[in-house]
Amino acid sequence: MSERLTGALRGNLDVAGLGALLVVLLAAYSHYDSELFTPASITILSAQFLPLILAAMGQSTVMLAGGIDLSLGSVLALAMAVFAVRAEDGVVVAGALALAAAASTGAANGVLVAYAGLPPIIVTLAASFLWGGVTLVVLPQPGGHVPSGLVDAYNNGWNGLALPVLVIVAVLVLWKAVRTTRFGLSLYAVGGNEHGAYASGIGTRKVKIAAYALAGVFVGLAGIGLAIQTGSGDATIGAPYTLNSIAASVLAGVSFFGGVGQMRATVLAALLIGLLTNLLLFTGLSPFYQLILQGAVLIVAIAVKTFATRERTD
Amino acid sequence: MTAITLPRGLRDNRAAWAFGVLLVTWIGAILFAKGFDSVSSVRYLVQTAAFLGIVGVGQTLVVMMSGIDLSVSGVVALSAVVCAQVASGSGGTTGVVVALVASVLVGIANAAGVTWLRVPPMVMTLATGTIVAGALLVYTNGSPKSAKVPLLASLANDRVVGIPLAFLLWLGITAVAVWLLHASRIGRYVFALGNGERASRASGVPLARTAFVAYGACSLLAGVAGLVLLGFTSTSSLTMGNPYQLLSIASVVLGGTSILGGRGHVLGTVAGALMLTLLTALLASWNISEGVRQIVLGLLIIGLLLAYARERRS
Repeated sequence: MSERLTGALRGNLDVAGLGALLVVLLAAYSHYDSELFTPASITILSAQFLPLILAAMGQSTVMLAGGIDLSLGSVLALAMAVFAVRAEDGVVVAGALALAAAASTGAANGVLVAYAGLPPIIVTLAASFLWGGVTLVVLPQPGGHVPSGLVDAYNNGWNGLALPVLVIVAVLVLWKAVRTTRFGLSLYAVGGNEHGAYASGIGTRKVKIAAYALAGVFVGLAGIGLAIQTGSGDATIGAPYTLNSIAASVLAGVSFFGGVGQMRATVLAALLIGLLTNLLLFTGLSPFYQLILQGAVLIVAIAVKTFATRERTD
Repeated sequence: MTAITLPRGLRDNRAAWAFGVLLVTWIGAILFAKGFDSVSSVRYLVQTAAFLGIVGVGQTLVVMMSGIDLSVSGVVALSAVVCAQVASGSGGTTGVVVALVASVLVGIANAAGVTWLRVPPMVMTLATGTIVAGALLVYTNGSPKSAKVPLLASLANDRVVGIPLAFLLWLGITAVAVWLLHASRIGRYVFALGNGERASRASGVPLARTAFVAYGACSLLAGVAGLVLLGFTSTSSLTMGNPYQLLSIASVVLGGTSILGGRGHVLGTVAGALMLTLLTALLASWNISEGVRQIVLGLLIIGLLLAYARERRS
């Protein structure tokens, strides 16, 4: 019995550790904001954190397959721009267009990585230029308009329901479903050992392309969420999400070399980074310190991770 | 194909290929575009290519040991902003010295993270780049100064027997880098690490010392480029380094150096930087919007990478 318990705990070490950290942060947070656990506050905060959570899920998907996506921020901005530009003609159509744009840019990244024989870093870095340009063509100046009813319902609750929370839960359920399919299994296999996966009959190229496309869907949803939260679009807003999505994934224990990691840990880690950034504002420091904090979190997270795993394997 | 009839040495020499492609592109530009056939246009081109080229030479050192430096964009801005800030208070020379010291410190931090904390180079340099960007925001309070530093202005704009001084500086730096990488002991270590870290460490190659030299030199050169840019424009901005992140890596790879490290030549990077600057100038001569220009440049870079920088792995 106790053996099974420690076994379960070890398997979820990252989730448990992050959960504990999150509790500490929430306690500190409620010290500054006594209304933290009211529905209104939860709705607003979840609307604010949704883009990073979904972007981090996208980055984790790519990293699980052994890749990396440096164009994530540009794709997020592209989805946001497409949605903001088309939202007045019908939110559903705009959302579908934005998702299609994000998924196809993701698939294009995947094709380049799978067939070009170029490392993902350089492909996605060059692609970030390309998608950044497309975003500027769609939306040269910050603008666009999201219907105010939707913005209000999203940020302040809709019949008492926190829509962003529902979206995150729905995406997690979707991920759970994907995990149980053949593709979900292949994703971990390709990331863990590409040669082995290929030798056991997995179409590694197709899996990679599908992974980047799925990441595109997640990132597209993040961009739509950001557009609804802010009520408009901005072509240059995406850049910080690239770094923060990598930081969240690393913090969650998703390996840089692929094949290792859990999506629920990624969600917790993204929440953690979001809360940390907000806490920084409460302490009265200038928001300029945010970038320093984010960079430092990334270095500390990965250094701790590296030393922890080295102890276990050596 | 004509390539088959060429002597084997030339066929395998990717740096020579880079100069060949550059020559063809340049002739094409002279024949089909306006304003590329005068001496002054050549002069302007090599002068502006020097900014990218200096960063590219540093990037080559890091890429050759299978690292990557994504913090160069931050360091270019760092040195220009710090120099402008310090120079307005305590004189140009002090500004230059402080800026270069600050730049080298970033390189030392990168090398320390990569060797001692064992953080993957991409993540480490992405994080330090972000921290530098944040630190600059805090340092300047969001509004960096402009400054006329006579020394830098003449370095960037003056000519010696008709040749821009910036170009001569670039050539001098390249000559030192050729010696460092292709004739010195450290250079042999860099190539060894690029071809296989485990094996070279096992045979006594000092990883730490090599990494400190390579990352330190890369940051120093990014700092130098920032100073020349400051001299050229007389203003500093927080985002002035941004284009150099992708373009410096692209110039290295287009110059025939393997992005995985261990193969290539510094001289190839000179061709790569000249080619990218030529392409940018060609695009600027067309009357197209910023977004479309970025798309075309992104596609061109991806196309060029596909054409002759592919790695045959597995």
